[in-house]
Amino acid sequence: MNRPHRHSWFEADARARIAGLVDAGSFRELCGAHERLTSPHLAALDLPAAFDDGVVVGEATLDGRPVLVGAQQGAFNGGAVGEIHGAKLRGLFERARRTRPAAVLLAIDSGGVRLHEANAGLIAISELMRALLAARADGIPVYGLIGGSCGAFGGMGIVARLCDALVMSEEGRLGLSGPEVIETVKGVDEFDSKDRALVWRVTGGKLRRSLGDATMLVDDDIASFRDAARSLLARPVPARDLAALDADQRALAQRAARYAEARDGLDIWRVLGLPDPGAIPMLDAADFNRLLASLPSPTEAA
Amino acid sequence: MGAPWNQRAARRARRLERLAPLTRGREIAAADMVAALEAAIEPGDRVCLEGNNQKQADFLAESLADCSPERLHDLHMVQSVLALPSHIDVFERGIANRLDFSFSGPQANRLARLVQERRIAIGAIHTYLELFGRYFVDLTPDVCLIAAQAADADGNLYLGPNTEDTPAIVEATAFRHGIVVAQVNEKLARLPRVDIPADWTDAFVVAPRPNYIEPLFTRDPSLITEIQVLMAMMAIKGIYAEYGVQRLNHGIGFDTAAIELLLPTYAESLGLRGRICKHWALNPHPTLIPAIEAGFVESVHSFGSEVGMENYVAARSDVFFTGRDGSMRSNRAFCQTAGLYACDMFIGSTLQIDLAGNSSTATLGRIAGFGGAPNMGSDARGRRHASPAWLRAGRERAGDGIATRGQKLVVQTVETFREHMAPAFVERLDAWQLMEDMGMDLPPIMIHGDDVTHIVTEEGIANLLLCRSAAEREQAIRGVAGYTPVGRARDARMVENLRDRGVIRRPDDIGIDKRDATRDLLAARSIKDLVRASGGLYDPPRRFRNW
Repeated sequence: MNRPHRHSWFEADARARIAGLVDAGSFRELCGAHERLTSPHLAALDLPAAFDDGVVVGEATLDGRPVLVGAQQGAFNGGAVGEIHGAKLRGLFERARRTRPAAVLLAIDSGGVRLHEANAGLIAISELMRALLAARADGIPVYGLIGGSCGAFGGMGIVARLCDALVMSEEGRLGLSGPEVIETVKGVDEFDSKDRALVWRVTGGKLRRSLGDATMLVDDDIASFRDAARSLLARPVPARDLAALDADQRALAQRAARYAEARDGLDIWRVLGLPDPGAIPMLDAADFNRLLASLPSPTEAA
Repeated sequence: MGAPWNQRAARRARRLERLAPLTRGREIAAADMVAALEAAIEPGDRVCLEGNNQKQADFLAESLADCSPERLHDLHMVQSVLALPSHIDVFERGIANRLDFSFSGPQANRLARLVQERRIAIGAIHTYLELFGRYFVDLTPDVCLIAAQAADADGNLYLGPNTEDTPAIVEATAFRHGIVVAQVNEKLARLPRVDIPADWTDAFVVAPRPNYIEPLFTRDPSLITEIQVLMAMMAIKGIYAEYGVQRLNHGIGFDTAAIELLLPTYAESLGLRGRICKHWALNPHPTLIPAIEAGFVESVHSFGSEVGMENYVAARSDVFFTGRDGSMRSNRAFCQTAGLYACDMFIGSTLQIDLAGNSSTATLGRIAGFGGAPNMGSDARGRRHASPAWLRAGRERAGDGIATRGQKLVVQTVETFREHMAPAFVERLDAWQLMEDMGMDLPPIMIHGDDVTHIVTEEGIANLLLCRSAAEREQAIRGVAGYTPVGRARDARMVENLRDRGVIRRPDDIGIDKRDATRDLLAARSIKDLVRASGGLYDPPRRFRNW
C-alpha cells in the first residue's frame, strides 16, 4: 500500500495492544485462556464467560527491560472487573514485588466493577488497588495506558489515578461516574450523555491532559502508546514522598477553585488561555501538546 | 370557448379567495396555518405533502394532521416518502384515505396496520421516477405543501442544499392550476439564489422551527467490518477494475461505504485512479471525501444533500453541482434519471436474495417500498449510448449470440448471514408472504433477478451474465451463499465447473489474500478521520462524534 499503516489502539483488542506495546515476541501470558479461569458468578447467572475473564496479564520486555503487563478486554462486559479478573491483576502486582520489573504497564479499558459480581467484584477491585499501592511502595513504577472504547471509569478510574503516570489518547476517557450514570442520577440538564462531543470534551484525553490527570497525550496509534511507554520507562522512578503528595493535594485544591464555574472542557481551555478552544478537539496530539507547552503554566500538576 | 374548459383555474381562484384573509402579502402566520389549510384544501383533493428521503415539510404535515376531519376528509395523499408520525396521523385521524407513495421506512409498521384495518387504500408503491412521472400524468396534486430554506416577501423560494423533490412537485402543481404552499426556515430580504420563482408559489409560512433533515447517508467508518473490507476489495478488483466502471451509483450501506474508503488505498495501489469511479450519481456521502481528496472523483450529482457536508461541497465546486451563490444544488428527479440512464453500474446491499437472484428488503408486517433503488438497480432498456463497461456486460450476456445492446452492471453485495444469523440467501423471499398478507398485486421485489448481473459475498463473486440456464444461475447463487441452507444445498461439482468457467470467482482466483483485508486499508477509520481528510470542512452531526 502507498500509505503508512497506522494501527489503532482504540480498535485493537487487549492482546493486539500488548503485542504492539512491548518488544516483538517478548510477551509471555500468565493464567492464559487455556487455563480457563472463568467467572463462577457469571456461570451462576447463566451468562457467557470468557476464558481469560476479560483481562490478559503476563510478562515481557520493553527496550530489553523486563516489564509486567496487564490489558483489559473492553469487548467483554465492558472490561468490567469481576472476581477472577481482579485477582489476575492483583496477582500481577504481587508478582511485581517479587520479580522487580522495570515497571508494570496497565492498559485500562473498563467501566469499573462488574455489577453481576456485586461484593466479590468490589472486593476484587479494592484488593487490586491495595496490591498496586504496595508495588509502588516497593519502588516499582506503575504506568497506565487509556485509549480503549470503555475508557477508565468507576473503580478503574480510581485505579488509573493511583498510577505513577498515565498515557491517554483523546479517544480514551477517564472519570469516576460514567456519562450515562450522571445523566440517570442528576438529569439530562446536568450532563447529556448523548452529546458525544460534550462527553469527550469532559472525559476525553485532551481535557485530562490539560488538567494534568494524564501525563502524556498521544494519537490513537499503538506505536505512539509504545513510544510513550518507552519514554516513561527511561525516566527516573517518580518521587512518592510526603512532600510530593502535599504538592499534589495543593494542586488539586487550586484546580477545584480555578475551574469551579467550568461546565465543559471548552470553559477549562478558555481559562487556561488557549486561543481557540472550539478548535482543540480537532488538533492532532503533536499540535495539541505544542499548544499546551506554549502556555506559561501548562497544566495543573506535573 | 367559455368556462367548461377552464374550471381548474376557476377552482384555484376560489381557493385563493378563501385563503386571502389569512395572508399578509404571501405570508401566513404559523398560528393560522391549520385554518389556511382548511381554506386552501377541499375534501377529496389530491394533496402532495413534501416528505423526501431527507428534507421534511414537518410543520405543514403536523398542521394538516391537526385539521378538522369534518372540514377535510377523503384526501388522496401523493408523496414520495412517509417518514414522520404526522404523515400517518393524517390517515389515522380520518383526513386522508388514499395513498400513492414510494418509501415509508420508519412508518412502515403503522402503514401496514392501517392497510390491514382497511383504513387506507394504497394506489401503488412506486419508484421515485415513476411517482414523479405520474405527477405529470394522472396524479397531479391539487395542492402541494413543500419545504424550503427561505422565502422573500414576494414568495420567491431558496431551497438550500436539499432541493430534493421540490422542483418536480412544484412544476406539476403550479402549471396545472394547483396551490403551492411552502414552509420556510426564514424570511430574507434578499435570497442567496431563487430556486422557485414567486409566480409558481401562492403562500409561505415561517415555521416555528427549521424543517427536519435526516442525516441518512452518514456511515461511521469505525463500524465497517473486515468482512466488508474483503468484499470491497473483491468488488474493486473483480468488477470495477475488470469492467473499467467510470459512472456509477452506490447504495447507502456499510458495504459500499467500505468501497468508497478503499479507493484511495487499495484501488490506488492497483493503479486504478483515473480508470474507475470518475462520475457519480450519489448524495454527498462523507465516506467519499478521501476519494475526492485523492483525485479519484471528477463529478458528483446528488439527489439531496447530507447534514454537515454543506461547507465541504461548497468548497469543492469543481466536483459537486452548486449554485452561483456557492451552495449545493441537488435534484432527485434529475439524479434518478442520471442513475437510471447515465450510469454503468449500481451496487448496493439487500436483505434477501432468492435462487433466481430476485432481491428484496421487504420484511413481514411492514410496507416500506424501495424509493429509488429500483431505478438505480435496473437495466435501462431504452439506453442507446455506449461505454466500454456497458458493452462488455452486454457481450457477456449475449454469449455466443450477437449483442445488440449493452447492459448496466447491477451488483448486489451481501454477507451470507445478516444480523441475528438470518441468512441473506433464501429459497423464497418474505416478499411473497407480504404480498398475501397485504393483498398486493405483486410481491415487493426491490431488484429483479433478470436485472442483477453480479452477486458479491465474502465467499466470492457470482457473475450471472455468464450463466446460460436457470439451473446454472441457481448454482452460481448457491455457490457464493456460504453456509446458509441455500449455500449448503449446492451441487458441488456444478459449482466447481462454474468456477472453472469464471462464473464464480473466489478471492484467491482474483489474487486477493484474505489476510490483507484489514481495517488498516480504510482511508478513514473514524468520523474524525473524515473531518481531517476534508481539511476541517466536514462538520458531522453530534451523534457521530467521539471528540
